[in-house]
Amino acid sequence: MSASATIVPGELAPKGLSRLRNFRLIPRVDTYPAVVAFAQTVFGKLVLLALFGLGLAYGSTDWLILTLCLALITFLPAQRRILVTISALLFAFIVPWKFFKQPFYSVALIVLVLTLGAVLFWCATLWPRSWYGRRPVFVFLCSFSLLIVIASYTPQGTRAYQLVWDFTNSLSVYIWFICYSLLDQKAAGRDPFSLQLGSYRPFWGSTNTPFAKGAAYLRGIEARNPEQLAVTQLKAIKLLAWSIMLSLFGAVFNYCAYGYLHIPQFSEALYLSANRTPLPWYHCWASILVGFIGSLISFSAFGHRIIACCRMAGFNALRNTYRPLSSRTVAEFFNRYYFYFKELLVDVFFYPFFLKYFKKNHKLRMVGAIFAAACFGNAYYHFARDLTFVQRQGLRGALMSDRVYLFYCVLLAAAISISQLRHRKPAPSGFIRGQLWPSFLVLLFFCLLDVFGFSDRNYPLTEYFRFMGHLFNLNL
Amino acid sequence: MDHTAEVREFFKGLLAIRHDRQPFTDSTSFFLSGRLSSVDAVELVVFLEEKYGIDFAEIGFDQSQIDSVEAIGSLLRNVKAID
Repeated sequence: MSASATIVPGELAPKGLSRLRNFRLIPRVDTYPAVVAFAQTVFGKLVLLALFGLGLAYGSTDWLILTLCLALITFLPAQRRILVTISALLFAFIVPWKFFKQPFYSVALIVLVLTLGAVLFWCATLWPRSWYGRRPVFVFLCSFSLLIVIASYTPQGTRAYQLVWDFTNSLSVYIWFICYSLLDQKAAGRDPFSLQLGSYRPFWGSTNTPFAKGAAYLRGIEARNPEQLAVTQLKAIKLLAWSIMLSLFGAVFNYCAYGYLHIPQFSEALYLSANRTPLPWYHCWASILVGFIGSLISFSAFGHRIIACCRMAGFNALRNTYRPLSSRTVAEFFNRYYFYFKELLVDVFFYPFFLKYFKKNHKLRMVGAIFAAACFGNAYYHFARDLTFVQRQGLRGALMSDRVYLFYCVLLAAAISISQLRHRKPAPSGFIRGQLWPSFLVLLFFCLLDVFGFSDRNYPLTEYFRFMGHLFNLNL
Repeated sequence: MDHTAEVREFFKGLLAIRHDRQPFTDSTSFFLSGRLSSVDAVELVVFLEEKYGIDFAEIGFDQSQIDSVEAIGSLLRNVKAID
């Protein structure tokens, strides 16, 4: 009796735990054979597209045209890649037409940028052994930097000034997409430029960071048969549903934090600190914690929506944000929070350095490559993204006002280096020691680091340190 | 041990660090599928450099070249053919 009485709870506990672990808010419909089979029929495809379109309509103005593009791609899978290119061009020229101040001029600038991308790609392909062909990304980024310098020193108020800046700004939006094309130039089965073009600001959306990387990645993750397409599209619907749920949760979270509890925004807390009327330390903590969690939620929802569209088009892309709270190391969080940005830095800055320099000294090689990516690459990306500051403040002024973000990049690179140099071993057993405590430390680090990551270029670095002091009740 | 078995063992080790006990075949995708990350790719690159003398700076690096045991096998054959 007593033996059985002790065994029963022991047996129940793991079952309960495993049930909890397997619980999903959104059922794993992509693993149900009947649903996968249904999704392969014409009616099933129509149902999926209708559901997806309905989901897109929540929070997207272009949902109808996006759904139409997806419908075409769904029913003509053999022409998928070329349809992706046509859709990308549609979203580059036609969809934003009404928002262009000077439509023909804006279109001409985009055409010029895309033509430049094509010429660079063809030159690298035609002469792979030439000086340019061996390092096309490096040459392109150096030329772009030179263009920024030229634009900065062009006399203001002239026609040339406006022209050079408009072109530089248009090119800045496409540079990382062009870089991915140039990286693909050496691949054996590389796509022609007509297909590369589909990954230049793809129609499913992106920031300046190419979401779902470039054409090479799309080739690798494309659905190869009707079953794979069905599974990928079911995953797309799940991800879109999750994105909507996160958006709703984010809205409630923001209302509770800012509307009900009146927690100050971080920008407000920093402003008060800089004006020598700091908030109490607990308000400062609340402002950075709420800001961090809020941005985590909204950024996840934003990325999920884009990747859901990409999946609906038949590409089984990885999520942009994937369980960042479970990260046990700094490097892991960086990977899980903004996957495609990290991939961009790795592909364009990390590997070129890592494969070329300090091969004999593993630690130096690793640290050098991490600094090339997480510090230099990260800072360069943001500098190239925020060219309006360069135009407004001049090159020197913009570089000076970028110091806070540069400091952020140095701290980030140093932390990732330490994280990577520590000997990798399986996590200690036990939930608290193995998962909770390391995750807490990582999140605390990024929460504090975010203080320097938020840079509106209005305050010097000392003001950020002053704010850090207020967090620990120190009036500096 | 032949190179396929060595590469398989190396992948097993990388997966073990991530507590990934799922089985895999020679054609299983590791990086494109997200089972392994670019951090793991770096370790694999070092392994291939040290063990087989591959110079990625010379031949050009593309993550799809090391995405599976099969892909690595094909890479090693190509490199040997060039040598």
